[in-house]
This record gives sequence, structure tokens and C-alpha cells, in this order.
Amino acid sequence: MSTTVDDMSRRIGAMSSAELAGGRESRVTVGDVTCANPRMVCRDVDVFYGSTQAIKGVSLDIGKNEVVSMIGPSGCGKSTFLRCLNRMNDTIDGCRVTGSIKLDGQDIYDKGLDPVPLRAQVGMVFQKPNPFPKSIYENVAYGPRIHGLTNSKAELDEVIEGSLQKAGLWNEVKDRLDKPGTGLSGGQQQRLCIARTIAVSPEVILMDEPCSALDPIATAIIEELIDELRANYSIAIVTHSMQQAARVSQRTAYFHLGDLIEVGETNQIFTNPKHRLTEDYITGRFG
Amino acid sequence: MAGDNSLASAGDIAGGHTVRRYDQELAKLRGIILDMGQRVIEQTQAAVAAVVDGEVTQAYRVLDREPQIDFLSLDADEEIFRVIARRQPTAVDLRIVLALSRIAGDVERAGDKAVRIARQALVLREIGIGQGGIPSDALKELLRRLDDQACCMFERSIQAVAAFDVELALGVFEDEPRLFGVSDEARDFLGQEDLAGFTPRQIVCLLTSAHALERIGNHASNIAEQVIYVAEGKDIRYRNREILIETLRRDRGL
Repeated sequence: MSTTVDDMSRRIGAMSSAELAGGRESRVTVGDVTCANPRMVCRDVDVFYGSTQAIKGVSLDIGKNEVVSMIGPSGCGKSTFLRCLNRMNDTIDGCRVTGSIKLDGQDIYDKGLDPVPLRAQVGMVFQKPNPFPKSIYENVAYGPRIHGLTNSKAELDEVIEGSLQKAGLWNEVKDRLDKPGTGLSGGQQQRLCIARTIAVSPEVILMDEPCSALDPIATAIIEELIDELRANYSIAIVTHSMQQAARVSQRTAYFHLGDLIEVGETNQIFTNPKHRLTEDYITGRFG
Repeated sequence: MAGDNSLASAGDIAGGHTVRRYDQELAKLRGIILDMGQRVIEQTQAAVAAVVDGEVTQAYRVLDREPQIDFLSLDADEEIFRVIARRQPTAVDLRIVLALSRIAGDVERAGDKAVRIARQALVLREIGIGQGGIPSDALKELLRRLDDQACCMFERSIQAVAAFDVELALGVFEDEPRLFGVSDEARDFLGQEDLAGFTPRQIVCLLTSAHALERIGNHASNIAEQVIYVAEGKDIRYRNREILIETLRRDRGL
């Protein structure tokens, strides 16, 4: 991971310099951070990059079979928070996470817990499609192989077909599984990455601006896919598109300067938000 | 009234948008509706003068000017489509656009009521009520009171739209009993069995005018409901008025 503490501190420092004068006191989140069937439970999560605090006491549940969208201006901490959910921040030197994040009751920051299998349970799809420079088949087979999830070629073939089908890509690639994944279109590559994530049977899928590099048609296909995936997985998605958050998620969380300002049913957030900062941001009055 | 609607006032609910053009589009939309509202008040007053005082030229003027309100209504629709298509409004902006769409409908229909009153003036002229208007000072006074009450409510509702002012909107609701009271008086007066000096057809025309004025007051109440919807985010249609006024004032610490 090329990001360093200095990079992150600089980014946060630059973003907040004008707003520091307005006070960075901790804010109480408006709305209910809990949900009926939580898969992940985050409580009082703080994240520090060196001496800079990027996330301040955030509590939020991610429920079973729901899509939670995280929105907010650049530098607000939404991606940082997302990356806490599968310990991706562990790869950044000097990054410190406090508070509690539990997956099905298990503290994912428990010292005895291996983060590698955790990242299979809590998979991640990134902003830019990043298929391995291998065949389509090998891209999807990689995870199940290294995690030892299959015992035979036939079983692996079954997992690959199932994953590509769930990712809505099977019909487009079934006749060219041996072709390079990098030869697919951007939207297909992103669905290949989703298939790769699904192949290791995750419980939660994290998506960090998964459509920002895609055209509207590819975006619509991914959004349709997200809705289908919700039947089997919990999904947390970071997006800069208000409309995307409104379309794909059941709950929305609005972040601002490291605070979780408001969380609520997506319908409520986009029609009648309770916090002025949320209202200003989603209506385009921010800053 | 439209002149009061400066571009800056478009953001008075939650401050200006980063994209200033968006503010201008919302201000333009609201300006059209305020303009329509002002014209409806003028039309109503002219139409009532035509009935009460027999000023048929006023009635013809009302009929001539009616299409202007209809065209403004079409302009408002076009702006609403444009804002929805280009800006995909959310939260308070979505409520503003939705409310202004409903308000435009109410204002346009209130304009139709003014036309209906003007038409009664022309019919009354045809069937024997000549220059000088209604031959009853008591009825003239009643219809003028009803006109004042309806126009006062309508004007207040339009002022409420100009600033999405909840207090002004609540004032419209508080005026409703007075409107219904004067309306009932007019109906009782015209329903007298031995009403001297009026033919049944004339009575029907006068009742139609009184009813149209009451409806203009109803449209004012509908507009006030939309102002509350924008400002408070609450759909208060079909709610008990007394409880509503008390609850909203209490919530607002008044």
C-alpha cells in the first residue's frame, strides 16, 4: 500500500484547514445507528493517522441483507471508515484504530485474529477495476485456491461459474474464460472483481466508489447487481453520487470531518434529513 | 409581488446552492407562481366588482386576462420539468419543487374561479341586474366581506410562499372559520324564501359567485399546507386545523 501517514495527514490537513476555525468538536450522530439484524456492529470507532484523527467516535451497524451507503465530502472519513471494516487500514504505517468493530459478534481487531481470512469474510471492491493480469478463470479461482475453499477442479469450476453468474458476467464470458481479465470492458472488469470477491463466500462486501470509473450503462448494471447481491450479502458502499446512494441503499450514513453526522433510512435522508449539514450536502449547498 | 422575489431569496430555506444557476432556476419558478398569485387577486377583485357594482367592463377584462395566468401555469410546469431533469432535487429542494407544482395548480384553479364570478356578472346583466349592480346593500356588503376574506387569505398564502413563512401559513388556517362564517351568511341570505327583488336565476348566479369566493379561500388553505410541507417537511393535508396550529406553534416554541 503506497499511502503513508504523511499523505493522509496532509490530505486531512488540507481539507480541514478552512474549517478548523469552525470547530472540530465531536458531534452526536442524528438518527438510529443500530439496525434490527446487524452483521457488523461498530462502536465508538476512532481512527488516527499519526497524530491526526480521521474518524471520531463513529458507531454504526451494518445489517444482514441491506445496503448501507456512506456519503460525504472528500476527506470526510467515509473511505477510512469503510477500510476499517476489513482492517485494510492495517496496511498503512502509523494508522491506529480504537473502539470496537464486531463481525457476527467477533471483534475483528482482536489481537489473535488473522486479518487474511477476515478479508475473505469482508470482501472489498475498489474504485478502479483491478483484475489480476491473468485469465478470467484464474482471477476468480485465485481466492478460493489460496483460502483452500475447494477440494477438486470440478468444485472450483462450480464456484467460478456460480460467482460469475452472481456477478452477472457468466453469459458474457463463459466462452472465453481463458482470455485475460484485463481484456474486458471497464464495467465487465468491475463485475469480474465482484465475482472474485464473491468466490470466497464473504458475509459482507465493501465497495469504495465502485462505479466512479464506469459509464452510465455499466453503472446501471452494477447497481442492479448490488440490489441482487443484497439477498445474500451485507453491503457497505462509499459513493460520491447522491443519486446512486438514493437508488441502491436502504440506509444512508452522512460523514463530515470525521464525524458520522446522520444515519437513517435512505428515503428519509433524501427527502427530509434532520441535520442541517446533511441537508446542505445532499442539496448541493455544501461549502 | 413578483418583483420582491429576488434571486437570493431562493435559498432562504437552507442557504444558496454551490451551483448558483440552480438558485436562479428555483427563484424563476417561484417568481412565476408569485406573479400568478398576484394576478389572481386582481382578477378576483375585478370580478367581484363586476358582480356587486355591475361593472361589466371589469368582467370582460377578467375574461381577457385569464389566458395570461394559464400561460404562466404552463411556464411553471416547464420550469418544474427542467429543474427535475437537470438538478434531480433532493430534500428541501425536492419539497420546494413538489410544493410549487401543487401550488401552481391551486393558483391556476383560483384564477378559474375569478373567471366564473366574472361570467356570473355578464349573466346577471343579461337577466336584468343593470348598472349599479345588486339591488341590495345588505347583499353587496356580504359579498364584499366574502371577497375581502377570500382575497386576504389568498394574498397571505402567496406571501407565505414568497418566504416559505410558517406563521403566515398558520394565519391562513386561522382565517378559515371567518371565511366559512361569511360564506354561510351569504348562503342563508340568498336562501331566504321571500327574498324580494331577485329571480331564481339571479339567485343561482349570486350563489355561484359566493361559492367561487369560498373556493378561492380553500385554494389559499391548500397553498398554506404546501408552505408548511416545504418548511417543516410534514404533509399536513387532512389534519385537524386546531390541533395542527397548536402543535406547530408548540414545536416552534411560539
